[in-house]
Amino acid sequence: MNHPENSNRRDFLKLGALAGLGLGLSAVPSAEAKPDPRDLKLLSASDISTTRPRPVGNKPVWELTTQPTEKVRVAVIGLSRGRGHVNSAANIPFAEVVAVCDIVEARAKSAAANVKKVTGKEPAMYFGDENVWEKMLERDDIDVVYVATPWEWHVPMALKAMAKGKHAFIEVSPAVTVDECWQLVDMSEKTQRHCAIIENCCYGEEELFVLNLARQGFFGDLKHAECAYIHNLAGGVLWSLGSEGDWRRDYHRFMDGNLYPTHGLGPVAQYMNIGRGDAFKFVVSVSSPEFNLTQFRDKHQPNKGKHKDEKYVCGDMNTSIIKTQLGRTIMIQHDVVSPRPYSRINALCGTQATFFGYPARLAVDADNKHPILDPKVKHNSHEWTYEKEKLSKFMKENQHPLIKKIGELGKKVGGHGGMDFVMNYRMLDCLRQGITPDMTVYDAADWSAILEISAKSVKDGSMPIQCPDFTRGGWKTIKPLGIVS
Amino acid sequence: MDPLEPGNRRDFLKLGALAGLGFGLGAITSAEAKPDPAQVMRRAAADIGAIRPRPAGNKPVWDLTTKPMEKIRVGVIGLNRGSAHVASTASTPFAEVVAVCDIRDDRAKAQASVVRKKTGKTPAIYSGDENAWEKMVARDDIDVVYVATPWEWHKPMAIRAMELGKHAFLEVNCGLTVDECWDIVDASEKYQRHCPILENCCYGEEELFVLNLQRQGFFGDLKHGECAYIHDQRGKPGASFLDAGRDWRRRYSTLLQGNLYPTHGLGTISQYMGVGRGDAFKYAVSVSSPEFGLSQLRERLKPDRDRSKDERFVCGDMSTTIVKTELGRTIVVQHDNTSPRPYSRINLLSGSLATFAGYPNRLAIDVDNTSSLLDPKEKRNSHSWTYEGEKLKKFMAANMHPLLKKLLVEAKKVGGHGGMDHIMNYRFLDCIRQGITPDLTVYDAASWSALLDLSDRSVRDGSIPVAYPDFTRGGWKTLKPLPIIS
Repeated sequence: MNHPENSNRRDFLKLGALAGLGLGLSAVPSAEAKPDPRDLKLLSASDISTTRPRPVGNKPVWELTTQPTEKVRVAVIGLSRGRGHVNSAANIPFAEVVAVCDIVEARAKSAAANVKKVTGKEPAMYFGDENVWEKMLERDDIDVVYVATPWEWHVPMALKAMAKGKHAFIEVSPAVTVDECWQLVDMSEKTQRHCAIIENCCYGEEELFVLNLARQGFFGDLKHAECAYIHNLAGGVLWSLGSEGDWRRDYHRFMDGNLYPTHGLGPVAQYMNIGRGDAFKFVVSVSSPEFNLTQFRDKHQPNKGKHKDEKYVCGDMNTSIIKTQLGRTIMIQHDVVSPRPYSRINALCGTQATFFGYPARLAVDADNKHPILDPKVKHNSHEWTYEKEKLSKFMKENQHPLIKKIGELGKKVGGHGGMDFVMNYRMLDCLRQGITPDMTVYDAADWSAILEISAKSVKDGSMPIQCPDFTRGGWKTIKPLGIVS
Repeated sequence: MDPLEPGNRRDFLKLGALAGLGFGLGAITSAEAKPDPAQVMRRAAADIGAIRPRPAGNKPVWDLTTKPMEKIRVGVIGLNRGSAHVASTASTPFAEVVAVCDIRDDRAKAQASVVRKKTGKTPAIYSGDENAWEKMVARDDIDVVYVATPWEWHKPMAIRAMELGKHAFLEVNCGLTVDECWDIVDASEKYQRHCPILENCCYGEEELFVLNLQRQGFFGDLKHGECAYIHDQRGKPGASFLDAGRDWRRRYSTLLQGNLYPTHGLGTISQYMGVGRGDAFKYAVSVSSPEFGLSQLRERLKPDRDRSKDERFVCGDMSTTIVKTELGRTIVVQHDNTSPRPYSRINLLSGSLATFAGYPNRLAIDVDNTSSLLDPKEKRNSHSWTYEGEKLKKFMAANMHPLLKKLLVEAKKVGGHGGMDHIMNYRFLDCIRQGITPDLTVYDAASWSALLDLSDRSVRDGSIPVAYPDFTRGGWKTLKPLPIIS
């Protein structure tokens, strides 16, 4: 979504001041009945954990290859957050933005003008009409549709895009409920179209650095990780009418759990090969009381007291622990209202090293004999072996190949410190080559499912809730992600 | 009970290099059957959380007052960790070390000579004999017995001391199981003797600073805390967790699967939140990572391999527990003493008006925070840490806890984890001198230590939430919060 998912702390600090500006997504109505989050199908404890049988005729998509193409034709729905993707695609030589869509005319025109400025070609515009996104999907010159709308629209839009033969790149969280996750998996397997989660935080410089080290065995045996979405939105974007203030606060009124798990969980899941050799087994979740939304509302009466009757049930701080099939633990938190600085924690603990983000720190075991370490230098994990300048240097020497290749360009094009561009470049490059994107529909489902699963655990007094297996056993044999470039 | 609980990060960094030296405690045998941790009573999830009826004749001790006295006479059992308490007591003008006890003669003699050098008086020495501690506890000139022995000895020694009319100052962990926790509560209530937990981390500089702010309402409504005992104690050849001196402690890694050492983190957070005094633990849910640390250490440290070759380590390297309180607050408690990471107790407190995080220390203050401690002209923004580094140090100095103001200089001289050992000991002994209730009571000892058993039970049962027993038997609802003492 539209918040400063910073690729490093320094960038975040610069962006911090913008955090409350409310560059939200407009609701995009359509002929399809406007989805109401309160109508979402929430499951019982037994149903939520069930791995559903694969419908007859469907085939896995975890190694789906498609016809390579010279030019990837892109369309984008939702041009607040989606504007970043439009800008990325316009700056990628092998991509073309053919259509842009938003309910707000001004946003569509502005995004189209940006494309024209960068490429000389103006994309088709769809706006102002409740059906417009569906009209856009009727086009036969689109390879991939970005879905960057309010959460309740993600699944219906992605399903229709795939049904019309397009790949769908869905913003986070791709789905709100486990039932929706299954719908995405089944449609992707049915239509043999990719349905990738566009989790930009997986392409942050720090995250790719940690992933690069993890893939090279630097951390030894992985045991534990921590991640979060801690971002104080209470004084800003959650009240911003015409954008996220129109819809995002609604989720705080009927779900008490982790409302936004993927920014933290995506990178950690990649470090741990979730869905590719390991899998989520169960989740326990506990929420704190709710204070800050109500207190801000009562004190400041945003939008002239319009929200005075709203009751918020989502605890300010939600802490969940995920246990994996290999026995590892992942602590994941969500807090978007407390007075604290932004953090995704981004911690990875192994037998040979420990990394922590916010601020970035790396402790290397005295016995770590990894070839990227200078054997003459003695390490001592009783202190942070690398932090600040020393870590920056070590990070630079061990940059992920993808960052080496397009990190600089990413910074120029921008978007959360460049990680939006790196992600979009890589995802579109996969389509160009006809290979499977790094993030699949199984990742989209696994990571998003924590939303309803955590809420279910909280509701049931923090009982452990088993995670369904969206790969239907595939995780046992799917190969780990390679180090891509 | 590790001798290297740092009082603050800087001290820790200095101590870091010593962390693996393996200062284990000698086992102290006695006429009392030697307790075997494998034999302690384990409860099923269904009744572990039950409140047991108070035995007839027992009375609560949460506001127990005793006769004020001019001089407190102290005996100390277990002189490895206990040496710090000996040093504190010998430096406290209104206290006197009358007896010291350890199974090892050399340790007992060394501590006796420390006392003699400091005070000119030699305490009685009890050592070398399995019954030695029982003889010491039977003396009639002791007011307080410090118990600083291996964990399995804590309960029997504390109960015997109270039975014989002494207050028992009990090292962490106080009880290994919920059963043991009830036993010490019942003994304290029966004999009307204090049995406080010696949780030195409650008297750390940062912890007292946060407590001081919290008691003044600075954090607004409290919602969440995080704490830990993250301390890499694997050590190195000849000075490792595999050494003979560590046999007793390593044993717990073969028996228990949860948080083996919860109180250093949990004690301070409980004080911030007024747990036992207006709030109480409701349930705990716990998940453990796989075990790698000790097994791999054994593979690495060949000379020490034989001693532990038949041990099977079942305790996951990283234990993460979430405690939910009666007021709905959440507390994350972690334990990891075998991973390559720097020391941390996390020490995070999150409220509606401010957030504090330790390791390194940082404080974020909400724009709507109108605390009188703040300069109203200063512009603040909780999107970054409002105070850290030098700025925080200045703010901490300006808002130092009264106890620290009074004792800091002396405490730094006496030492002991950066001074916090002395501040704790001074304060406890001063409470006995005045005849008032110590800040940490037997209920704190029980509720903080109980997490050991509860987290293990949760992990064993697939991470189900386990109800917390209420050792105050309802008292927490009316007990007053700790005041800001000096």
